[in-house]
Amino acid sequence: MGSKASPTAVPAQRAWFTDLTRDARGYRPAHFGKAAPTGYRGETMKTLVSVADLSRRFGAHVALSGVSLTLERGEVLGLLGPNGAGKTTCLRILSGNLVPTSGRVEIDGLDLVRQPIPAKGRLGYLPERPPVYPELRVDEYLGYCARLRRVPSRRVGGAVAEAKRRCGLEDAGRHPIARLSKGYRQRLGIAQAIVHRPSLLILDEPTEGLDPVQIREVRSLVRELAADTGVIFSSHILSEVQALCDRVAILHRGRVVYSDCLLADHETRVWRVRLAPPRDAVSLAALACVEEAFPLGEERFRVVLNAGAGAEDLARDMVQAGLGLRELTAERSDLERVFFDLIGAGDAA
Amino acid sequence: MTPLLWVLLGAGQIVLAWVFLQTLEHFSGLKADERVASLSLELSLNLFGLAAVLALLAAPLITMRMLSGELRDGSFDLIGSAPVRLAEVIAGKFLGAVILVTPLCLLPAANLALLAGEARLDPGLFAAATLGLWLAALLFTAVGLYGSSLSAQPGPAVLAAFGILLLFSVIGRAESLGVEGLSLFGWLAWNEHLFWFLLGAVRLGDVAYFLLFTLFFLALTHRRLANRRLG
Repeated sequence: MGSKASPTAVPAQRAWFTDLTRDARGYRPAHFGKAAPTGYRGETMKTLVSVADLSRRFGAHVALSGVSLTLERGEVLGLLGPNGAGKTTCLRILSGNLVPTSGRVEIDGLDLVRQPIPAKGRLGYLPERPPVYPELRVDEYLGYCARLRRVPSRRVGGAVAEAKRRCGLEDAGRHPIARLSKGYRQRLGIAQAIVHRPSLLILDEPTEGLDPVQIREVRSLVRELAADTGVIFSSHILSEVQALCDRVAILHRGRVVYSDCLLADHETRVWRVRLAPPRDAVSLAALACVEEAFPLGEERFRVVLNAGAGAEDLARDMVQAGLGLRELTAERSDLERVFFDLIGAGDAA
Repeated sequence: MTPLLWVLLGAGQIVLAWVFLQTLEHFSGLKADERVASLSLELSLNLFGLAAVLALLAAPLITMRMLSGELRDGSFDLIGSAPVRLAEVIAGKFLGAVILVTPLCLLPAANLALLAGEARLDPGLFAAATLGLWLAALLFTAVGLYGSSLSAQPGPAVLAAFGILLLFSVIGRAESLGVEGLSLFGWLAWNEHLFWFLLGAVRLGDVAYFLLFTLFFLALTHRRLANRRLG
């Protein structure tokens, strides 16, 4: 795994750069239109969360080792990894529920261990299980959460109403939490995390166990919330991270093995085809638009296109050559390939 | 509103009323020369002594879910990520439990109020006994809270609290085991200190004992929860 960890440093730098262009969703830095601040102060104004060299042991077991991350305002960072990779440990540390063995967490420039009270005031946290009290009603619970998060008492009512509106809980105010469905509990869990309008939102597998409709709702909610907060989001579902996050960090065995920004879907040059047998890779490689072709099985092939060629060229050429095209699919996404290269291949070796 | 308070008050009142009646019947059946103690003292020792045992049983039951239930259900993460100090959390939980236990401590005095016009009683004695009972209840609540911080399961949590309280109840007997001069054990037992309150004597040392051990167990609870964050 040691050699696999090396790509981390360079892409992480690239992510810094892409963040400067992130005005598409309306976000403007605090210094917009003024002289840009310089040096360390400028960095802390911009960087919402900075995690440096975070490690955590449980006895002899090392749950996290040397994790470094940064998050900007208005950005969604996906923590991706197989179960047991250290995602929850990392988020529990970021939420102040666990003290790191070594390393530093700063939220808005405030050290989470040394200045826990002001630092925690800036974050909202949804653990794996929504931290709800079944015996309370939704309104009572959210009111309690708002007061716990130090929302001034005259603004509690407004904050609760706003959190309910954003999470689609307007009609559930009088309902006892014990009678809410799983999807509604999850929404309530998110509502308690945003009731005090935090600048950092930490969500631990928020779509776990939801049905597809609910997953879509939660995703669009997270996207909407990301307009004015930074979101750190853990998941083991690749497509979810790809759909939601601006940046991804892949955790494996407690280490960040990959960290990069997710750019908009760029055209893939790698395709998979299934042809009516008997065919071989040579006849595919002979096509004008194909750079390389590899056999994957009796009738399946992996095809790399020339630069500038598209799927339509490949399909046309194959039909014209009479290769008996049965199936044409894009190779799995970059993220998926990276994930399995780092984790699947690493395990198999 | 939790039904727990009503169950506790109801059950406590039934038991107290029974003992109240027994004590009165017994006392009124005695001839003047057989009466070694005044009615006030008889009632104080019987009613408040019993109420202390009730509080000892009730406090860990009230506190058992306060921390262990939150740790088990994961709702402690909500408190852990909120901008509040652990000391504030513990103080809040402790005050909440004390508010539930206090009516139980007032029950014996409420029962005795029935006799107000009928017999010449000593209100000062009952005030001292009520204070002693309440201070003892504070200690039981603090021990209950500590037990609750020990386990994420309410069952073991309440057993741990009962274990500690039982130890503090019987430790005074070490003296009667024949070891003379071990007054430390006698001093450690809560019942020895409560006894003076029930006799009507509010001694600074006894007040200090209850407050000191209450703070001690709250500090242990704080330590325990702080250690959980360290893993």
